[in-house]
Amino acid sequence: MLEEQPDGPLSEAASAHVESCDDCRILWSDMEAIRTAGMEWGSEEAEPPEYLWLSLRQQLQAEGLIREGSVQGSWFSAWFGVAPRWALAGGSVFLLLIAAMLAGYQMNEPNAASALPMRMSIAAARPKLVASDLGKTLDGDLQRVFDSLPEGNPVLASSLRENLGIVDNLIAVCEKSVLEQPDDPMARDYLYGAYEQKAVLLATATDRSALEGQ
Amino acid sequence: MARTRPTEVRELGEAEAIRRAQQGDAEAFERLYRLHSRRVYALCLRMVGNTAEAEDLTQEAFLQLFRKIGTFRGESAFSTWLHRLAVNVVLMRLRKKTLAETSLDEATEPDEDAGGPRKDIGGPDLRLSGSVDRVNLERAVEQLPPGYRSVFVLHDVQGYEHNEIAVIMNCSIGNSKSQLHKARMRLRELLQEFERSRAREERQAAKGGSGASD
Repeated sequence: MLEEQPDGPLSEAASAHVESCDDCRILWSDMEAIRTAGMEWGSEEAEPPEYLWLSLRQQLQAEGLIREGSVQGSWFSAWFGVAPRWALAGGSVFLLLIAAMLAGYQMNEPNAASALPMRMSIAAARPKLVASDLGKTLDGDLQRVFDSLPEGNPVLASSLRENLGIVDNLIAVCEKSVLEQPDDPMARDYLYGAYEQKAVLLATATDRSALEGQ
Repeated sequence: MARTRPTEVRELGEAEAIRRAQQGDAEAFERLYRLHSRRVYALCLRMVGNTAEAEDLTQEAFLQLFRKIGTFRGESAFSTWLHRLAVNVVLMRLRKKTLAETSLDEATEPDEDAGGPRKDIGGPDLRLSGSVDRVNLERAVEQLPPGYRSVFVLHDVQGYEHNEIAVIMNCSIGNSKSQLHKARMRLRELLQEFERSRAREERQAAKGGSGASD
């Protein structure tokens, strides 16, 4: 009977049986408990992260499914719609550069991390600094990094400048968005994320130049 | 830069979004994603119990959807079509993982000798006390065979009706009801096993404690 009508309602005969049979009453009660627990689980929100759409959009663009020049949707799409090619391509280049630098750094000198003169703790700095403070701090660090770059490694210097340009453009777009929508926490998060990318890039370049200068 | 105000995005209905997405309109793709991503993500998350995998599966489901959107003719509800795709993507992943069942019947009717659902009903000592612990429920769902899991998550957690599940799972309504009942029975057994194992551990801990004090 339960197999045909797992959610009830019970027929008159079935109800009468359940009333008189302990096993069936317990079984019915357990089924109800499981069903209720399932419904409660289903009522909990499960929100996909924002980057999922960005990643999907990038994939759709890569496959040519999105028509070029079509109108952008949300504020975020409009925001990235300024220059989606450089934002996405730049992001990829940036991540590749970081990965390559880290890989090269670890292969060259695996135990040198503790001896480096300047390592930034982004996670520690993030809650304390406001965006403008971060900007000033990073600009100061930027000069120190360029000053410390070995003259014999023009590839590193050129790559660093190029990627800094990309990240700086991203920061500018993020700042504009924060100015336009100061109450939007997502806009602020993305701005901090952009600063964080710049800081990580600078820290990695500093590490690399310190290693090469040794 | 062409910007669209949020109000314009909200006004884009599903039918219009589908039509425009078929022409490669980025805004329409995003609109369809925003309309359905929560439900698809929730389904994936509850089926696999892992956020990273759920994100991956959600992206894969939408990618497949957008690749095929040109073939959508509106014979069935768009959401049903999408959820059918999503369930298939999840089942494919689960089957790859387990390298086991390849059909609905095989996936939903495990060998009874190997711990599948028993036909007998539980005695009074197996009662779930009218409530089910959420963590235990999630653990138990993870142990269900893929077919049982799909029907339980779709019906009891996500709130689909049996006629919708029949379309999504490509089975009859009667089969959906029957699978749901079997899924709940198997869940009941698993939950009872968890309870018994917890009680055993408590007894052993109590014995250990009293032994230590002797």
